[in-house]
Amino acid sequence: MRYTEFTPYDIVLLLQGLSVTLWLFVASTLIGGALGLGFAVVRYYRVPVLRQLVHGLAELLKNSPVLVQLFLVFFGLPVLMKINLTPSQAALITLSGNTAAFVYVIAVSAIEAISREQIEAARVFGLTRWTILRRVIAPQALAFAIGPLTGLLVNQLQVTSLISVIGVIDLTKVGNILNLRTLKPFIVWAVVGALYYLTAKAVAYAGSRLERRLRAHTDWKGV
Amino acid sequence: MGFDLSILAKHVPFLLEGLWLTTVVCLGALAGSIVLGIVVAACRTAASPLARRLSAIYVDVFRNIPFIVQLFFFYFGLPEVGIYIEAAPTGIIALSIAGGAYTSDVIRAGILAIEPGILEAAEVSGLTRRKIFTKVILPIALRTSIRPLGAVCVNLVLTSSVLSTITLNELTGSAKIVAAETFRPFEVYAALLVAYACLTYAVSGLFGAVHRHVNRHTAGEVA
Amino acid sequence: MLSVNGLCKSFGTHKVLDGVNLTLNPGEVVSVLGASGSGKSTLIRCINGLEKFEAGAITVDGFDVAKPKELAEARRRSATVFQQFNLYPHMTAVENIALAPVEVLKRPKAEVIAEARALLDRVGLAHRADAYPAQLSGGQRQRVGICRALAMQPRYLLLDEVTSALDPEMTAEVLDILKVLATTGTTMLFVTHEIAFARSISHRIVFLEKGELIADMPTADFFSERGRSLPRVAQFLSKLQGEAL
Repeated sequence: MRYTEFTPYDIVLLLQGLSVTLWLFVASTLIGGALGLGFAVVRYYRVPVLRQLVHGLAELLKNSPVLVQLFLVFFGLPVLMKINLTPSQAALITLSGNTAAFVYVIAVSAIEAISREQIEAARVFGLTRWTILRRVIAPQALAFAIGPLTGLLVNQLQVTSLISVIGVIDLTKVGNILNLRTLKPFIVWAVVGALYYLTAKAVAYAGSRLERRLRAHTDWKGV
Repeated sequence: MGFDLSILAKHVPFLLEGLWLTTVVCLGALAGSIVLGIVVAACRTAASPLARRLSAIYVDVFRNIPFIVQLFFFYFGLPEVGIYIEAAPTGIIALSIAGGAYTSDVIRAGILAIEPGILEAAEVSGLTRRKIFTKVILPIALRTSIRPLGAVCVNLVLTSSVLSTITLNELTGSAKIVAAETFRPFEVYAALLVAYACLTYAVSGLFGAVHRHVNRHTAGEVA
Repeated sequence: MLSVNGLCKSFGTHKVLDGVNLTLNPGEVVSVLGASGSGKSTLIRCINGLEKFEAGAITVDGFDVAKPKELAEARRRSATVFQQFNLYPHMTAVENIALAPVEVLKRPKAEVIAEARALLDRVGLAHRADAYPAQLSGGQRQRVGICRALAMQPRYLLLDEVTSALDPEMTAEVLDILKVLATTGTTMLFVTHEIAFARSISHRIVFLEKGELIADMPTADFFSERGRSLPRVAQFLSKLQGEAL
């Protein structure tokens, strides 16, 4: 039996898709964020070889389509390394790597935005590099980077939609399923679009709230 | 089965056809984005609150919904309303509309950066509002917009890969076919990744050169 | 005739112009003097329609600046030279000058360009005709600005502190040109800080203080006992004692 009309169950389906989208978004943000910060630290400590490698990788990931990265990981990696990857695993690897590349770029420019004198002053006081990084650089860099990071996250949320192409049942894939079944593309894609829009707005709102709090903190410290 | 790029050699002509289609689609979308961006930027800086409101909504909506969702909306939706066009024009239209949102931002910034005094001089000299826009505002704004437009164009190139999902055999679509034929997805997609990176470097280099050429007089030295 | 009647203009609660009356007859050179913030520039910006005003009327040859339908006609009769030059950065000197005559007056392009070159020649810039503003010095830019205004063949030339952004040497370049214009019968309303120069070219001096028109009299009178009998004018002039008047 074919349901060509919308059913109440479709709402559940949409919400399931949204939850898959959100979970991959959050997971790849956390992993990618940590990885990107690690990359930035490698650069900060001027680790030889690794530093150039990280930079080259970030450039490559920034300047190529996420869809191709996704194909490389999902279709290419298993063949090359003789492993099995589920679509979700491939999606998580790709999205995390992509997020890491952009977090790296933002983190590097945030660190560079902090004046050299401050770091030298801290060093004169005998603080170790690690303490300087944690206590002096990190808090200021975060306040500087939170705006670009929010923009990045809104963008990365939209990028997750591409994982539907390799078969992950995310919000876009649910849209595909409903579209094929009901043949009502305008309604289906408008609803899917609206869900993405609202999620993006929520991310942007959270980012601006956080930014205000962080800025208030640095302002207060400045007094 | 190690990493062996030589298997790609005989597929290069086919991939070049895909590259050509990517180029055509991107040029079409760039033209569409610029035209749309100019109109929307004009609305966003217009005196009419309605024009400002509507254009701001357009930008907000199309920047916060994933491109693939927009693409499916048009690809599956247009036939519903009796418009039967092929994948390539559909792709150009969808890319233009998405790119137009970003382009309008760039051009709007260019317009807002114009010194008010210059516009006052034009107004006082008796030029009509339309003439002021076409003869003074737009040429100045476009000149300052060239470099940021390069970034928009890079994004168009990367985003155009998504058109492979609506059966368009542009660069990514062609690579998919080659990957399936050769059973060497890793080599194919790795090469594709590098190819896109080179393409985007070429695009930003080109825009940088055009920027320098067009603005060679305005940066000028005092004689 | 350009006439200003009971002009009042405020920015928020701050009164910039308060009941200003002024007439400018064809052939006259009138300088507007006053301290910074006295409303001199705002007066010009009201006349050319860049600022709206609350009360009073401004007419240029009978055309009311406050009426949108008449503003275009009023503007066609005057031309403004700005303190900050405000040249179009994407156009050469000649193109800057030719734009409005071609687009507004609908005159043939070739004719306008020939005329623009002749104007540039008159101000000693024939060799810089195809340079862009960024390639010109401040004094050169302002000379182009003057040509741009003159190319509209205005009945009234409005000059808004045209030398304030220039160093003394460049100021002299520009003043030399204005002197020639003044002696050849161009009608000018000249808002300036250059007191000595204003004295040498003007038929009349108008003095503004805190938005009020305190004096409007022939130049000779303004700088004589009659002007000095007004305490504010005397005060203003005494501050400039050091300068050669």
